[in-house]
Amino acid sequence: MRSWRRGQLPMPDSLFDSAACALAVTREDGTILRVNPRLSDWLGFSAAELQGRRFQDLLTMGGRIFYQTHLAPMLRMHGSVTEVKLDIRHCAGHKVTVLLNANQRQQPDGVVYDLALFGTTDRDKYERELLNARKLAEALLQEKTATELALQQAQAELSEAYAIAQRRALFAEQMVAIVSHDLKNPLTAIRMASDFLQRGERTAKERQLLGHIGQSSERAQRMIADLLDFTQARVGQGITIKAVPLDLHNVIQHAVDELRVAFPAATLVHHAEGLGQACLDADRVQQIIGNLVANSVAYGDLLQPITVTSRLGDNACAVAVHNHGPAIPESLLAGLFEPMTRGTDQGSDVRSVGLGLYIVRELARVHGGDVAVSSCAMAGTTFTVMF
Amino acid sequence: MDLRHRNHVRVKGHGPSTLVFSHGFGCNQAMWNYLAPHFLERFHVVLYDLVGAGLSDLSAFDKTKYSSLDGYARDLNEIVDAYAEGPVILVGHSVSAMIGTLADRFAPGRIAAHVMIGPSPRYIDTEDYVGGFQRDDIEDLLDTLDSNYLGWSSAMAPVIMGAPTQPALSTELTESFCRTEPDIARQFARVTFLSDNRHDVQGLATPVLILQSSDDLIAPVAVGEYLHAVMPNSTYRLVDNVGHCPHMSAPQACAAAMDAFLAPWAAADA
Repeated sequence: MRSWRRGQLPMPDSLFDSAACALAVTREDGTILRVNPRLSDWLGFSAAELQGRRFQDLLTMGGRIFYQTHLAPMLRMHGSVTEVKLDIRHCAGHKVTVLLNANQRQQPDGVVYDLALFGTTDRDKYERELLNARKLAEALLQEKTATELALQQAQAELSEAYAIAQRRALFAEQMVAIVSHDLKNPLTAIRMASDFLQRGERTAKERQLLGHIGQSSERAQRMIADLLDFTQARVGQGITIKAVPLDLHNVIQHAVDELRVAFPAATLVHHAEGLGQACLDADRVQQIIGNLVANSVAYGDLLQPITVTSRLGDNACAVAVHNHGPAIPESLLAGLFEPMTRGTDQGSDVRSVGLGLYIVRELARVHGGDVAVSSCAMAGTTFTVMF
Repeated sequence: MDLRHRNHVRVKGHGPSTLVFSHGFGCNQAMWNYLAPHFLERFHVVLYDLVGAGLSDLSAFDKTKYSSLDGYARDLNEIVDAYAEGPVILVGHSVSAMIGTLADRFAPGRIAAHVMIGPSPRYIDTEDYVGGFQRDDIEDLLDTLDSNYLGWSSAMAPVIMGAPTQPALSTELTESFCRTEPDIARQFARVTFLSDNRHDVQGLATPVLILQSSDDLIAPVAVGEYLHAVMPNSTYRLVDNVGHCPHMSAPQACAAAMDAFLAPWAAADA
């Protein structure tokens, strides 16, 4: 190495040789013409070994493809590239990561490229960490987006299924309404015919059979009335009432008398409490009592009386039906007033379609009141409708 | 669909036939700056950028459509239908040679001839085929692309500052020369280097000029010879050149070989 005096600039050759980065000069096709000792040092090849080889052949395979598809065209197009990161193979086989700057230079005998390489192994590690973090974030985002999409799809399917179910339910309820309505006329004809037959001279057996026909058609009529009220409440305009001032005790007494005929197996007792006027729809109050008594007959202990109470007070009035017998199971209480709920699956012929209590509640509400139930094995079961 | 915007289509020159220039992986249509001017006197010339490259409309990059070369081939046929006049000769570099082959297969008879520069129907070796690469090499390339994502924009900045004075449009193109969205570059690299078009080139009857570099890492001589053997109507020309872009580093030699091949379709010399 040449020496120089203090204050004097180094000669170009020694600057090339002692530069703090690796330097090389190549031909246009990449053939190495000259390298500085630092490049030899970094790559483990002597200067003589490097000269005559092509720079791109020192790279890893990925780097060589990148050189052909990006670097060489860029160098030709722009005459320079900067800050390109490449991996070079050390003579021992491991990778040396460098940043490459290259510049085209016109020489009398053609074009050469000046290359400057900076070691960047540590920064490369850091950049790879950044890159990995970014890839992770992108993967997570993609996952989140996919999950959201799946959720949206599930929601859409659910609301579609819900809409279909609603259409089906509406159709079924309309069907019930139509069928119930159409059943009324033939049933009326049966009742009229059996009434007519009862007027003449009949044997005991015939009288018993005609009684069965009468009771059965009455039960069928009550069921149809329930179904019509149900569909009116669910798909129609709601149940309508004509409330007028009436003597509640009298109305209930009348209803209990009729129910004694309808349920000859049961013992019905009427209690009237208090004095005053009530403003109610008499037919609907009768229907309420009818449904509650039918319920007591179906599920109560018929060896003990069923008590119907009408109660009048200053501002409110109520009717209650009590029966003895087993308590209503806890599990049934919550849904007791929903349609199609039954106390048991017993196959009794007193069983109805399960609309009775639902209609009692609807009728109570349309009067501005409500219905409550209390049930235990000791005291029995009481349904109370407050108006 | 506005093709001119989507593919940054440029139409130049005059002649009875059309040359459609289609660039390869990594760059854009500016790579034809050294070769295309040679033909402007005798041909109608169409240049364009593949979607995702150069000044193409990046918003048109549909990951599904461009998950194979088919999407690019359909684009090329649309450009041919919209801009070509008379017989059409596709000039495709590298992967675009295969895009041109697929376009030909999709619309038989539409393409009169191909000029394939550095073509390869498959890059990865198999038991009975030498493409020049192993699968790991391609993963290594993707890694190198990744490594250059971070410094990508800053790497371009000094180049843009130092660009020599040129017409605005062409400056814009040279500035965006090798600049690609990282995600797009990644997918295009996969699609390019993992594709296998040996079945598509097999028996292709359209006249083909194969321009093979004498020393090309990406498309070695053995691959050019393979293509010449499987395409019955092909002409094989070896160009003395180091590297994968003879149309940039040896444009005169390429132009001479093309002139001879294109003579039947060229306008008479003015």
